[in-house]
Amino acid sequence: MSELTVVGKPVQRVDAEEKLTGEAIYGYDLVLPNMLHGKTLFSPKAHARIKSINTERAKKVPGVVAVVTGKDALWTHGESVKDKPFLAQDKVRYIGEPVAAVAAEDEDTAQAAVKLIEVEYEDLPVYTDPEEACKPGCAEIHEDFDKYRKAEFVVKGAMPNVAEHFKLRTGNVEQGFKESDLVLAERYFVPIIQHAAMEPHSAHAQFDKDSGRLTIWVANDAPFRALHEITEALGMAKEKIRFINPLQGGGFGSKGGLKVEPIAVALAFHTNGRPVRVKFNREETFISTLTRHEAVVYSKTGVKKDGTLMAREMTIYWGAGAYAEKSPTVCIRGSLPAPGPYRIPHVKVDGYAVYTNKPVAGSYRGYGIPQGAWAGEQQMDEIARRLGMDPVEIRMKNIFVEGDVSYWGEQLHAVGLKETLIKATDAIEWGKKPTLSKPGVKIGKGFACIQKPTRSPTTSAAGVLVNARGEVTVLAGTVEIGQGCNTILSQIAAEELKVPMEKVHMHQLDTDVIPFDASTTSSRSTYHMGNAVRRASIHARQQIMEAASPMLEADVKDLGYSDGKVILKDQPQQALSIAEVVRRKLGINGEVRGDGSYTYEIGKDLDLETGHSDHASAFYMYATQAAEVAVDEDSGRVRVLRMSAAHDVGKAINPLNCAAQIEGGVVMGIGSALHEEMVVDNTGKVRNPSFLDYHLATSLDIPEIIPIIVECPEPQGPYGAKGLGEPGLAPTPAAIGNAVADALGVRIYDLPLKPENVYWAIQKSKKKSAA
Amino acid sequence: MNKKVQFTLNGTRVSREVPTHRLLLDLLRDEIGMTGTKEGCGTGDCGACTVFLDGKPVNSCLVLSGELDGTNIVTIEGLKIGPELHPIQKTFLQDGGAQCGYCTPGMLMMSKALLDENPNPTEDDIRFALSGNLCRCTGYAKIVQAVQDAAAMIRSKNVE
Repeated sequence: MSELTVVGKPVQRVDAEEKLTGEAIYGYDLVLPNMLHGKTLFSPKAHARIKSINTERAKKVPGVVAVVTGKDALWTHGESVKDKPFLAQDKVRYIGEPVAAVAAEDEDTAQAAVKLIEVEYEDLPVYTDPEEACKPGCAEIHEDFDKYRKAEFVVKGAMPNVAEHFKLRTGNVEQGFKESDLVLAERYFVPIIQHAAMEPHSAHAQFDKDSGRLTIWVANDAPFRALHEITEALGMAKEKIRFINPLQGGGFGSKGGLKVEPIAVALAFHTNGRPVRVKFNREETFISTLTRHEAVVYSKTGVKKDGTLMAREMTIYWGAGAYAEKSPTVCIRGSLPAPGPYRIPHVKVDGYAVYTNKPVAGSYRGYGIPQGAWAGEQQMDEIARRLGMDPVEIRMKNIFVEGDVSYWGEQLHAVGLKETLIKATDAIEWGKKPTLSKPGVKIGKGFACIQKPTRSPTTSAAGVLVNARGEVTVLAGTVEIGQGCNTILSQIAAEELKVPMEKVHMHQLDTDVIPFDASTTSSRSTYHMGNAVRRASIHARQQIMEAASPMLEADVKDLGYSDGKVILKDQPQQALSIAEVVRRKLGINGEVRGDGSYTYEIGKDLDLETGHSDHASAFYMYATQAAEVAVDEDSGRVRVLRMSAAHDVGKAINPLNCAAQIEGGVVMGIGSALHEEMVVDNTGKVRNPSFLDYHLATSLDIPEIIPIIVECPEPQGPYGAKGLGEPGLAPTPAAIGNAVADALGVRIYDLPLKPENVYWAIQKSKKKSAA
Repeated sequence: MNKKVQFTLNGTRVSREVPTHRLLLDLLRDEIGMTGTKEGCGTGDCGACTVFLDGKPVNSCLVLSGELDGTNIVTIEGLKIGPELHPIQKTFLQDGGAQCGYCTPGMLMMSKALLDENPNPTEDDIRFALSGNLCRCTGYAKIVQAVQDAAAMIRSKNVE
């Protein structure tokens, strides 16, 4: 490979300037000509049968154009289980479920009309605890589950309300525990949290009767998947549906699938061709869009005296909320690696995604990894403590290295885990006793390691246009959600075509013109779309060289390419710029188009009985984060003093952006460790649906963060790259939990580590030692 | 109830009939069509809608249009100095202070408010000043850096 000119460099974001001047148009900002405004009626009941809905009074309000209920939208959707109606049908399953909607000339009118819709409910039993909801005798929240259309990998559990049962079976755990010198079993809990992207959710839709086309404007992170879901639900031809993506103000997993889209679509069929905008405010976003799975994790681990891991058994109850959404895949991809990045001969995992009458849970940055790590990584430290070993030493003994065969049967390569462990712990001076700052404050250190797969197998395709001015336009379906993909993909096109970054432009995402992409999820984009854009750029370059061959009177094999020019290899001063080649070949308005696509070739499918696969993921992301904390014993308040985060990214296409992703992930992780918790009471009501009561990390809450980039190249990745966005917060709570336990000598099993939880854990332990 | 109000918006005189209960945020975004000011919560908790009202930073979701008569409002659209980016915009660009960018207009306005008042803020001053502006992407570190760099840039210009 020739020397890289743009890839690997800390290039500034290409999309920043319009964001800094207020010119950028996000989904929430979009105004369409002649647009109507939609408002939604949400269910006030967590589980109830709908006896009647009366919309007559709402329809009579001046300025109201359409009122729709489930009867007007007899469609269902869902990523892997088609269980969610566009608007509630015969029953509601959570407080916040959309029941009806109004489109009117302005928002005030729409809201006034919503208040006039009368719904009569008949209460049904409410289940809010995933561990309880799957006990024998519980009523099914989805009586018709067996009749729903669903993906092949969905395995319904034998217990009530279990939408997915994932099984991993390796060796014989009972045998493993028998052969162990120490066996520990504990219960851990991770509460519901929310993505809280700064831009709330919204969607615009318009149905044109004459052409029969439905257009949806929405900041969705997977427009092609959303298009497919709408196509399937409505039974419309794919060509009749178009998604256009305005900018997205953060998502973190919340803006995939269908959220506000179904409401906007249901209304759009009744507005005589006028577009309708449906915006959720912050409270509506909290209760009616998506949450991260609460999880109850039982972890039992057996080890030899020397620290060798023998067996690990985990049972995880994933609280799915009222609809399956992405729960089956979170359950699979979160449960499979939950035992941690270690060589363990005997492993048994049971993951259950359990319906409850709570807001819907789905994908969230980290995709199930933080929950498993909160349990597994704290237990690793507890084992080390009981064995009198250093937590680093016990990891070193068992950690995955190059060539290991994992407990799910896959031979691993490009494993940069050990390096992340060494660098992250070195960065916080592991082993060096901290100096006590003041009485009543205890200092501790801790760390956690994770592995994370990516969604596989998937495809990305891209187009690259080179015009007669030498400008390059990239057509890629990766959504700029803030992660920096527009910069990364521009760097790759600039690298392969050897043009300056200013010459590269990203085309707006519009499913009518952009080639297919699976989704902007799972940290898959740099690897998959990066490969596709690279191939498309090379394809364009090849065409330009072929076109230049007669112009330079030379064979293609005698031509070289450098600095945006085709050159004669032995006479480099004989050169033609790519602009000139395109112009001479195709005219002043001509354009060369390169195409490329990338599909990760999966091996055997996941075995549903054992959870084994020889290629469960296109690549694995490895990370270690280490924390130093101060705990105030009197108040229970935890402060993170410094936090290092070492991530194996394969190859950093843009080190500045990598550091930014790591810092952002760590702070999101600190929030989830110390204060974030969406409180849902036992009637199913969210008690803190505002930023006043739901505590995100602020600029005052954050420590010194030390991002560390580790590069263990993935041979299939573009320039060796893997992915980075999702793992940023995955080990954070476990690392902080381990540091708190180190400080106090008391382990806390339930997140978040808010002052009252920590305080009571200290008191409980004091009582215990006094007795 | 409607009321006629006159105010200055980014240096331009505006005179219009407004429903008195209309939030300044909605007036700017939906009626005047300036969507640079962002809505993150609508309840004064996130700072995304920060604008200057008579020289002071306010959450525009907590200001009623009926109160605007005779006021002077500056939004993110008025932050540039002529065709040039304001130093705080330049340093956000250079340091990577924006990711998804949705909190950015509010962050920039609040940062400017700090620098107007205190041209030489410490890191703690910056963290405190921005503590009412939520960001979910950046982890704040690069934002704090950008404000420090902007302060230095402004100071060095003033010395010249």
